[in-house]
Amino acid sequence: MAAVSASCLRFQPLFSQSNKSSQAAASLKPLSVGWAKNTGFPSLKASRFRVSCAAKPETVDKVIEIVRKQLALTPETELTNESKFAALGADSLDTVEIVMALEEEFDINVEEESSQNITTVREAADMIDKLVQEKAGGGS
Amino acid sequence: MRSFQRNFSVSPSCPLLPLQLPSPMETHVWFVLPDEFKSVSLLNQYMELLSPCEKENVLTMRGDQLQKRALLARALVRTTIARYQINNHVVDPRSLKFRKNIHGKPELVWKSDDGQCPSPLHFNISHTSSLIACGVTVNSPIGIDVEEKQRKIKNNILAFARRYFSLYEVEHLSMISDSEVQRQEFVKLWTLKEAYVKALGRGFSAAPFKTFTIRVKDATNSGASEVAVESSDHPESLTNNWQFGLFELASSHYASICMEKDKTSDVAMRVPMRLTVRKTIPFVEDICISGTDAVVPIAGLIKQV
Repeated sequence: MAAVSASCLRFQPLFSQSNKSSQAAASLKPLSVGWAKNTGFPSLKASRFRVSCAAKPETVDKVIEIVRKQLALTPETELTNESKFAALGADSLDTVEIVMALEEEFDINVEEESSQNITTVREAADMIDKLVQEKAGGGS
Repeated sequence: MRSFQRNFSVSPSCPLLPLQLPSPMETHVWFVLPDEFKSVSLLNQYMELLSPCEKENVLTMRGDQLQKRALLARALVRTTIARYQINNHVVDPRSLKFRKNIHGKPELVWKSDDGQCPSPLHFNISHTSSLIACGVTVNSPIGIDVEEKQRKIKNNILAFARRYFSLYEVEHLSMISDSEVQRQEFVKLWTLKEAYVKALGRGFSAAPFKTFTIRVKDATNSGASEVAVESSDHPESLTNNWQFGLFELASSHYASICMEKDKTSDVAMRVPMRLTVRKTIPFVEDICISGTDAVVPIAGLIKQV
């Protein structure tokens, strides 16, 4: 059984993890998604379920608003779930500023190790929802 | 040996002339200003230098300006590296191959007679919307970061620093009362920290900014301030083998370079970082600007050559 390090969340796209959580114990990268925190053992069904239960639309909208502001995008620039920050011209300082703005907006804390994994609107929104949920659930 | 001049519809007025490799403790910086590139045929020539994968990446960028920037970045890397004559071969920019290290840092795949050994030529690139720079060294990892001097931070600077920088750095910034000077010092410090993690090859996530401190010691009688890095995460790790240079570039940008100190030189001696800076429009024009007011050293021992 892998030890989940709560202080080092590494966000991965959900769909690629559902069949890997049994290997997580040997993996060098702690997998935070797909583990039912309260029971402490992997919940494959839960992770598959979460694939179809994507980030809340309100979260996505808020992320888009913050990204637009940080990158000073024109209103014509279309932003979707799949929009990549780098493709919109974000450099590393922009990405860190976006993460900080998201932390303040949602009152969460993103470990630096995870910030590299936030490369799209979807990844940011999914991570936010996860952290907000964990915080609400009183997780460690 | 294949001449690539005939592949261009307009024969280049300035072919890539072979250059001597940088010597130890020397960095060659080449940069482009995207606004100087308006000719569609020239941009198409650059496009022809890219690998299929690079072309695809350029086309995923959103909008003409970002695509042009991405194209110029790859063209700058390829043409810059191709200039360095190795074993008397003229290198075709198209033939260069790249890969990423374990943390995602791009590096040159070195074709050697006995198979694959690490490339002696190291490079790193950095860009802003108005300038793209590529630094080249030999036998030393290099990190380079450029930022516009006028770059505005959207978040509160001290809040940002408290979140991401080390205690010493936060204290240094909070002691600056003038908000504009504080913003400038923030940008300079950011470029130094970015240059360091890029030289390490690890990037922001694997070397969180809070885990190391950059100190700029005041200028001594020799006229140059010293820049040093200390790791708070691994105090025992060697951080005194990294050399920094911070300078103002083209009057518009701050640029930081971080490279490994030459191991053969006496560690007690302060060996300057030798720096050559050239502005380029590949195949059209190269201008050496070292020693002009377009390169103004700010910190670290820099000798312009």
